[in-house]
Amino acid sequence: MKDKVILEINNLHKSFDDLEVLKGIDLSIHEGEVVSIIGGSGSGKSTLLRCINYLEKKTKGEIYFEGRKVESTPKSRNEFRARVGMVFQHFYLFPHKTIINNVMMGPVIVKKKDKRLARESAYRLLEKVGLEEKADVYPDMLSGGQKQRVAIARALAMEPDIMLFDEPTSALDPELVGEVLQVIQRLAKDGMTMMIVTHEMGFAKEVSDKIIFLNEGKVAEIGTPYDIFENPKDERLKSFINSIW
Amino acid sequence: MRVVSELLIEIKQFLSIVIAFAPKFLPAVLKTLELSVVSILLGTLFGLVVVALKLTKLKTLEKITNGYISIVRGTPLLLQLYFIFYGLPLIGLEFSRSTSAIIGLAFHSGAYISEIFRGSINSIHYGQEEAGKALGMSKYQIFIHIILPQAFKRSVPALGNQFIIAVKDSSLASVITITETMLIARQFVAATYNPFPILFIAGVYYYVIITIISRLLRRLERRLSVNER
Repeated sequence: MKDKVILEINNLHKSFDDLEVLKGIDLSIHEGEVVSIIGGSGSGKSTLLRCINYLEKKTKGEIYFEGRKVESTPKSRNEFRARVGMVFQHFYLFPHKTIINNVMMGPVIVKKKDKRLARESAYRLLEKVGLEEKADVYPDMLSGGQKQRVAIARALAMEPDIMLFDEPTSALDPELVGEVLQVIQRLAKDGMTMMIVTHEMGFAKEVSDKIIFLNEGKVAEIGTPYDIFENPKDERLKSFINSIW
Repeated sequence: MRVVSELLIEIKQFLSIVIAFAPKFLPAVLKTLELSVVSILLGTLFGLVVVALKLTKLKTLEKITNGYISIVRGTPLLLQLYFIFYGLPLIGLEFSRSTSAIIGLAFHSGAYISEIFRGSINSIHYGQEEAGKALGMSKYQIFIHIILPQAFKRSVPALGNQFIIAVKDSSLASVITITETMLIARQFVAATYNPFPILFIAGVYYYVIITIISRLLRRLERRLSVNER
């Protein structure tokens, strides 16, 4: 099952003015795979994720999605983004829309889906993240953990082929982290392909098929959770793990 | 005693002039309303168009809109009205008095309104745009469905101020001989030699119009804040 490459990244470079943040990243993500990206602050984790769906303009390199190169024309970019779900650290729900409308928005506007059908599937997604009774309230009335679960439902509503999580629990109070991780874990069980930038090492260890350790804009080590946490080879990875546990 | 009875006579006279002249203001007050409402609507439309042109980030369009805003803000409205009514006909652009006044007023508030919109659009967190992009929305869809509704809500208090200013600014149309509230007031003052009651009537009319507008705006603000805790 996990032999089909869904996303391939070739020689990805990203500079902000003189500062080179990503220095040639090569990666391939297989269907159904859960890949966590770890690394110290400034290692380029978030930038990597943001470059993948073109929220940052990459300086160099190619991205292939299901074997086809993603061009950087607006049309090709938007079509690609519609198939890639993204969850942000700070949720970025639409404050002027109710919860259900937040979730419906992508399908209705981007896919021109019938409103009634979109509402039904949005409701089912809210049930999936345990927030169906919040369907008609506004984001301001929710806790951080609830907001993030809605944000996940909103991304899922586009029926993406891969989900990108950019530090999904870093902005949450400690007691709210669990409910969000649970939702992500359930997605993993359902076979969703995911890339997760996280500081939750316990979670990364448990949920990932593959972990990538980024250091100074390069993939310093890549392996199974066992390889990374029990048998690290890279010196900086060793000290990173020591500093965290 | 004599002082008191003199005062009573004065008050009686004042009231009788007010009662006699207040209804005579109505056509002129309607003109004020017409000038204000049309220039506010057109001005808002100008403001939207200008800010939309600016957002295209095309150099030429940006230069034109910047030029428009800096000319309007850099010169008095009185001069702009004179220019449109007396100046433009010299190069073959001639409008009726009413049209000149409305063009002038709308052009004027449009520049300020576009800056109000620009400010509120810029105040929307970039994360909102990113969330839209991540769903695969086009720039246009993001603007219409995500940025504009939120920005409009934030612009309401400042927009309300601008609408109130537009009502008062319409009094300047009197200089191009449009019979609105201020011009009729001056004519009545000349006819009665009694400025106090006449100006009092004019003041009350303006005050009532502006109070109604601010009430409506407050109601709009309340309705727009349903999504707040």
